[in-house]
Amino acid sequence: MTEDRNGDRIVHMITPEGADLVFALATVGERAIAFAVDFVLSQLILIAFVLLGLAFTFVTTSEHVLALAVIGAFVIRQGYFLFFEARLQGSTPAKRLLGLRVVSRDGARLSIESIVARNLLRDLELFVPLAIGVAPQQFLGPAPWWLRVPAMLWVILLVALPFLTRERTRAGDMVAGTIVVRVPKAQLARDEAEGTRARIRFTKEQLAIYGEHELETLAELLRKLDLGKASDDDLRIIAEAIARRIRFEGREPTQQPDLFLRTFYREQRTELERELVLGRRIADKNERKDRPRGPRA
Amino acid sequence: MTDSFEPSGADRVSVPARSSIPGHDPRSMRFRREREAEWAELESILDRAMTRGLSVLHESELQRLPLLYRSAISSLSVARKTAMDRALVAYLESLASRAYLAVYTSRTGERWALVRFLVDSFPRAVRTMLPQLALSTGLFVLGLAVAYGLVRFGDSEWYFAFVDPALAGGRSPGATTEFLRNGLYETDAHGLSIFASFLFDHNARIGLVAFALGFAAGIPTALLIFQNGLMLGAFLALYDQHGLLVPLCGWLLPHGVPEISAILLCGAGGMAMGHAMLAPGARTIRAALTDAGKRGAVVAAGSVFLFLVAGFIEGVFRQTVTSDLLRFAMASFNASWLAAWLVLGGRLPELRLLRDQLVPSTKAGTAP
Repeated sequence: MTEDRNGDRIVHMITPEGADLVFALATVGERAIAFAVDFVLSQLILIAFVLLGLAFTFVTTSEHVLALAVIGAFVIRQGYFLFFEARLQGSTPAKRLLGLRVVSRDGARLSIESIVARNLLRDLELFVPLAIGVAPQQFLGPAPWWLRVPAMLWVILLVALPFLTRERTRAGDMVAGTIVVRVPKAQLARDEAEGTRARIRFTKEQLAIYGEHELETLAELLRKLDLGKASDDDLRIIAEAIARRIRFEGREPTQQPDLFLRTFYREQRTELERELVLGRRIADKNERKDRPRGPRA
Repeated sequence: MTDSFEPSGADRVSVPARSSIPGHDPRSMRFRREREAEWAELESILDRAMTRGLSVLHESELQRLPLLYRSAISSLSVARKTAMDRALVAYLESLASRAYLAVYTSRTGERWALVRFLVDSFPRAVRTMLPQLALSTGLFVLGLAVAYGLVRFGDSEWYFAFVDPALAGGRSPGATTEFLRNGLYETDAHGLSIFASFLFDHNARIGLVAFALGFAAGIPTALLIFQNGLMLGAFLALYDQHGLLVPLCGWLLPHGVPEISAILLCGAGGMAMGHAMLAPGARTIRAALTDAGKRGAVVAAGSVFLFLVAGFIEGVFRQTVTSDLLRFAMASFNASWLAAWLVLGGRLPELRLLRDQLVPSTKAGTAP
């Protein structure tokens, strides 16, 4: 499996306890945005630092201050990503903003070697293609065609690498053995089965029609209802449709569709989970058709 | 409500045929109620630990974290097998994944990380790539010999094939001996440290790119090293023709020792990547490349320190000290600390062991 329900490309990591965890990979677009923001941020820090250095040089009239400023500028330019990825657990300020994180592909701790490697290669990935694009003549010089053609092909490959590889690794990631994932951040939603004390009864047969898919669709409707995004009419239509399908006799679907749907959801889930414990996962209503326990319609 | 009349065993396998058991909660709901507090506790710990690392946690939280993590993993496994609530499973997947990242991938801040890197990791990494270092040195020496031979014994016009006239600054075959000699003993008193830091910036950048170019199977790195050799060879030949070889070496070697070493080391790092791509051996190319790349990155990063030293010797020492004797003394001093560093760095435990073997009495002396 390479994509999950939302269409995100994913990677599996097996924990030492044997659980299979799934991480969504950051898209190339997200990573490009993160880089752009980080780049601007690092340039701003650099400019502020250089201005400060110049001001100090002016005040102290010492050339050594300027020399230190030059070295400081080098450190900021090369060290921005290094420092933040080492300090902020594999994310830079922009990556943190976008919820991205660099992780080691083998699931171990992100080593300083990996951080250094992926960031040393970034200069190459970014500035060599830029330089060749802007001034090919100057950069490639008087190289003969048999050197020029493979060089160009290689540069194209270098730039296209994140689009070509399954795990969207750029050259730096490949050398460092890293991937960039989204930090998972699901909230625990209210349990839709909570808080309904049932006054409506369903028979075994009535609960033997729908499967997991329909249950989940119903849960989504109830969640919309919590957010005030579903009207009473919607509820009534759906409640009545369900009532017809399961041959429910009573006036609740029309009069109290909210209560009916919540109670039905809870009873249906109880029933499906009971089946699940017995080893029967019923995916949807179609799966019921060939089952002997289904209602004879 | 009829709860009290119904059998209370929600876990029983057989259920009354006619009706469901109203009022009984879905399993997953009870499961969630029992564990929810633990999940919330884990989440509150993770919210702080995810970006700032484990060091922000209290001791009690540090002890709880692995327990809560394992509990979350087990909750996830149970939920995947028994819960029909997709929101719950998705939440637990996210919680367990975050906890996994915190427990297994958190980086803890090391004290003296930079010092340890230079004293320990860098020389160790250098020693893992001796074949590549030999190769890059060999290419450099080859370039040097070729250019020297062509300029010295062939047509001196070859000089311009190896040295960019813009960089040469008049130091070309047409120049007088006097001009060349003056260039070697020129002194300067102003802006030295600025000159030094610019030299550092320029050279370090070239070194790092030389390493990174190793990603193209090491070929551009090899060319770059060879070309540097050519340039130096042409210079040597030019000055040799004017009988200035020894003064040139005195001018060149004090900063040349760390600088050329740094270039060769960056080259070795890049060639290690190339080697991994062309001959990965029993491993996959990817695995070999990652291994070589990480070691190469350490070597290249450590070389930045050498470039810094070289920049200051070139920018300050060379411009102020004109005595050949002092210059050669500086060069040999640099060569010795560099060699000692690369050979002995990160070998303290081995050295202790060696000392104990050679001098067994020290052990006996410290025993009570």
